[in-house]
Amino acid sequence: MIDFTSTPIMLTLILGAVGVLIPVINVARKEKGSSVYGAITLGALLAAIGFVIYQIITKHVTQSAIFSSNVLVDDKFGSFFAIAMLIVGIMTTVGSFSYMRKRANPAVYYSLILLASVGMVLIAYSTDLVMLFIAWELMSIPTYVLAGYLKKDPSSNEAAIKYFLFGALSSGIIIYGISIAYGLTGSTNIEQVIAGFSKLGPDMMPLAILAVGMFIAGFGFKIGLVPFHMWLPDAYEGAPPTIAALLAAGTKKAGFAAALRVIIMGAIALNLHWAFALAVIAIVTMTIGNLAAIKQRNLTRMLAYSSIGQAGYILIGLSVAPISPIGIQASLFHILNHSVMKASTFIAVAGIVTTLGVTHIEKIKGLGKRMPITALGLTISLLALAGVPPLNGFWSKLMLFGSAIDAGHTLWWAPYLAVAGVLNSALSLAYYGWIIRKMYFEDGESNKRLQEPKSVIAVMIFSIIFIVGIGIYPDPVIAFAKSAVPIMSGLPVIH
Amino acid sequence: MNILPFDFISGLGDLRVWAIWILPFIAALIIPAVGKASKRATGYVAVAFALASAISVLTLLPSALSNHEIHNQIPWISSIGLKAGVLADPLAVIMSNVVAWISFLIFVYSTGYMKGDKDLTRFFFWMAFFLGSMQLIVLSDNFLQLFFGWEGVGLASYALVGFWYKDKKKDHVGIEGRHVLGLMDYYSPTHSGMKAFIMTKVGDIMMLAGMFLIFAFAGTFGFRELTTNTSWATAMAAQHLLIPAAVLLFGGAIGKSAQFPLNEWLLEAMTGPTAVSALIHAATMVKAGVFLVARLAPLFFALAAIGINMDQFFEVIAWVGAITALLLATQGMVHPEIKKVLAYSTGSQIGYMMMALGVAGLSKQFVDGYTAGFFHLISHAMFKASLFMAAGSVLHIVGSRFMTDMGGLRKYMKKTYIFMWAAGLGLMGAPFITTGFWSKDAIFAAVYQSGNTWALPLFAIAVVTAVITAFYTTRMIGLVFFGNKSKHIEELEKAGHHVHEASPSMWVPYGILAVLTIGVGVMGLAFEHQIHDLFVNYLGSTFGIKSDVSAVAMGGSQQLLGGFLEGVNPLALMASLAAFAIGFGLGYVFYIGRFADPVKFVNSNIFFYAIHKFFLNRWYLNAMIYWGFVVAPLYVARGLYKYFENIVLEGFNVVPEKTMAGGARIMQATQTGVSQSYLYIFGVGILIVVFLLLI
Repeated sequence: MIDFTSTPIMLTLILGAVGVLIPVINVARKEKGSSVYGAITLGALLAAIGFVIYQIITKHVTQSAIFSSNVLVDDKFGSFFAIAMLIVGIMTTVGSFSYMRKRANPAVYYSLILLASVGMVLIAYSTDLVMLFIAWELMSIPTYVLAGYLKKDPSSNEAAIKYFLFGALSSGIIIYGISIAYGLTGSTNIEQVIAGFSKLGPDMMPLAILAVGMFIAGFGFKIGLVPFHMWLPDAYEGAPPTIAALLAAGTKKAGFAAALRVIIMGAIALNLHWAFALAVIAIVTMTIGNLAAIKQRNLTRMLAYSSIGQAGYILIGLSVAPISPIGIQASLFHILNHSVMKASTFIAVAGIVTTLGVTHIEKIKGLGKRMPITALGLTISLLALAGVPPLNGFWSKLMLFGSAIDAGHTLWWAPYLAVAGVLNSALSLAYYGWIIRKMYFEDGESNKRLQEPKSVIAVMIFSIIFIVGIGIYPDPVIAFAKSAVPIMSGLPVIH
Repeated sequence: MNILPFDFISGLGDLRVWAIWILPFIAALIIPAVGKASKRATGYVAVAFALASAISVLTLLPSALSNHEIHNQIPWISSIGLKAGVLADPLAVIMSNVVAWISFLIFVYSTGYMKGDKDLTRFFFWMAFFLGSMQLIVLSDNFLQLFFGWEGVGLASYALVGFWYKDKKKDHVGIEGRHVLGLMDYYSPTHSGMKAFIMTKVGDIMMLAGMFLIFAFAGTFGFRELTTNTSWATAMAAQHLLIPAAVLLFGGAIGKSAQFPLNEWLLEAMTGPTAVSALIHAATMVKAGVFLVARLAPLFFALAAIGINMDQFFEVIAWVGAITALLLATQGMVHPEIKKVLAYSTGSQIGYMMMALGVAGLSKQFVDGYTAGFFHLISHAMFKASLFMAAGSVLHIVGSRFMTDMGGLRKYMKKTYIFMWAAGLGLMGAPFITTGFWSKDAIFAAVYQSGNTWALPLFAIAVVTAVITAFYTTRMIGLVFFGNKSKHIEELEKAGHHVHEASPSMWVPYGILAVLTIGVGVMGLAFEHQIHDLFVNYLGSTFGIKSDVSAVAMGGSQQLLGGFLEGVNPLALMASLAAFAIGFGLGYVFYIGRFADPVKFVNSNIFFYAIHKFFLNRWYLNAMIYWGFVVAPLYVARGLYKYFENIVLEGFNVVPEKTMAGGARIMQATQTGVSQSYLYIFGVGILIVVFLLLI
């Protein structure tokens, strides 16, 4: 029944075993010092990503099929997300080396990162609602703890409580959605649920719609869709910035993975005007995220709002998915890009916090001279987030907006998504540019070069190479994203 | 899924071609690391990589001379059908050789010239980057990739022109305290770097517009794809967009090659180290524009076969070239700074090349003008690099940029003196023994024989410019090496600094080029015929441009010479000889023989005085550009700010600002931090979503 050589099972075994072992090692080991646990975690994550890539290259992975009679499927769609999330996991782990040096309980910290990674990866591979929910909780519970990791810091505690409160609520809502779906169709397998949905009589339709609405709310909470986003800035701000990187770049993408598997497919089956609903949410989300970011004075908070705005861009691709063939491809591409860009910005902030102990925007004046590599990495990531050519964010945004314009042949409102996206990108440049201006064009308290944390430098160099490299030669990644798009033939498609 | 698809590897094809431009970039990448260990080593790394790149391009030369073309493509962004590629046809390979070898010599020279500078790492980083970008331009097979190199060259020139960013007084150009139309004629390195960047950017934007205009119709950026399928040209011509697009593309060349009216940045670009000036003027930056025109001219000319007339485009090129040639030559006559004289001369000579390429498109024998322009590019690259490096040596040793601070140096710097004569004779076009003579003669002949309505005025301008060129070159050599020692040198000697010859790492590179100027010059005519034959084949096979190589057709109505001077147009030859004789003679009288004092001569007559001042003030063009595009906009901006912004925007139109701020404030107000209200909004959100799904 269970194929132990399939990618999701192997990943669970690798990451889960190491994640469970680390606290044991901590008990057995007398010396203190966090670097050992970080190194073990990094090793496990590298092994995991290596395995995923190996599986793809040796073609052990099936084409992207949304359905399977099993609870897990070993397909390219899942592998694409697995790679994105494992990259985020690696960046977070490496970025944490310096951040965790002086802090308590490193073993638990790294172990939780690994367990959260298992959850994120499994979400992407799940084809059963119950499996999906278990993976969802496996991802969420460690992150609740991680958000409240600084236990003496009240804002970290508040962040954890808010995050947990909303997490619990959204879990309840997802369960509610699953139970309705089960009640209507008698199955929790996504394939059978969708098949069942498409055969529903008109009197049962409102219930199915309610289920989809519940899924949007439940998964939208992690993604940070407006109006389910309220907890997000508070939680990101209070959590350690490295964990904010994991939340913004990792768990958010897991939300998208779930949304793609469940909402899009379910909604297509229901033949709803869901595309319009998602489009409205997309525009509201990006506008509110960017508008609110402008007023922020705190870097983590500004980046939190910016990630809300970015979720809006990604949603463009999803909302035009059934009409434009490049919609989901563009979304996947932007998801991968955003993972790296956002993780890199938060790790840069973590580096600033470790070195200077500040996150206020007025305090980072002159950072270009004081921490040149961090500042450069942050600048390039911000420019990529804004979509400045020739960085990777430019290409994925171009594809997203292109897909919206492409869909304009069928849906009259689709091009307005592109218009909103372009206007929002311009709006976002205002605050990204502001950060860059503070770092380079205003003089800080001193111009003395500070010792930058080595692990942060490593992450910065990786992300610069990734961002610029894909910006110059995006083709392989675009091709990979294309191959990861789920095959939608056989589904009823609205026009 | 293939991360590195097979066609990527196989598409690379001939790796030598890629190596030519990738090697300098690799050098640029490792130079900062090397610089940590040893600053001096950065120079050797740059030289080694330049040599490796030069050797790999030399190996391509034999096949290119037999009109063999290497065209390799790899997928770049296949979702929009873009490919990256290298195109090593005869044009690119010859150009690439010129760039590679001259840059190599300049790199060698730089190791001596920049010795002891604090920022060697930065210097060689940008030099290598410069070379890589230029080779990328030359070997690109499409516009977009070329544009990457184009911008790289612009960036590197900005960084190198403003290299001495501390703006010390000795690094400025111009005469302190001199004013033209109320504006200072004195520029700092950082100002000049910015000026070069902005002025060339004007051209770049035009070029970008032209590029995308063509892309919109053709759906490709590839040069070969544009040649094989010309339906785009028909479509564009039908909408009267073809000539504007072509002229916009030429705008890029105008900016990069410092042609009228974007010529003014070139003079201030002299604030960079002299090695940089040599690189910009002989091998890289300004030649990029000529190369672009040489790339495009056959493509557009070949459209005549499908009945599209591109005469207007070529007229623009020819006239821009002619105006620049004359304009800058006249200014070169009067300037006191040695590097600026050479800079004027570069702009002027580039004007010749443009004129030849433009005239090529206006005549039936396209290949004549094309060969002449490209031949002049090669010969100019040799003697101008040599002249710049020699001038750099003189500057280095005398410690002043003014020729009036030199004088009488021939006894002290014998080698430099001889080499400067050799290279200078090339620039003057000394008969029969220099490359400059043959290439200039070829241009004269091409212009004269073109049979175009503009042939005579263009020919006249070309000849007058040649006279002036011979004159200012003689003046420069006379002022530097002849006469008595200047006060400045006497002071130097009193202070214990003796004027001496430059070090071998400096004089060897320019010596080689000076010897080449004469050496190739002796065989110049044979050399020219060689290129001519090659281009006849190349243009015929690649673009389908047929050339009639019989003597009658080549000469037009003129009877060409035979024997030793086979194929030379007698009238052009006479004009070349006369121009050299007059220019050199005048220069000899004033500056070498010193039979008359030029200062007294100019002041003796109000007409001469006025014209001298007019030339010295650069025809007032620079001042006008500053007034029109810098000073006036600043006034307008200040005025706008004072009256419009303050009163109108602040007073009445607060709506957009207030709504934005208000919107942001509402966002902030909802974000209370109170969990109850968050949960409330969450709940309302679910209702809204379900509602949205129902409509």
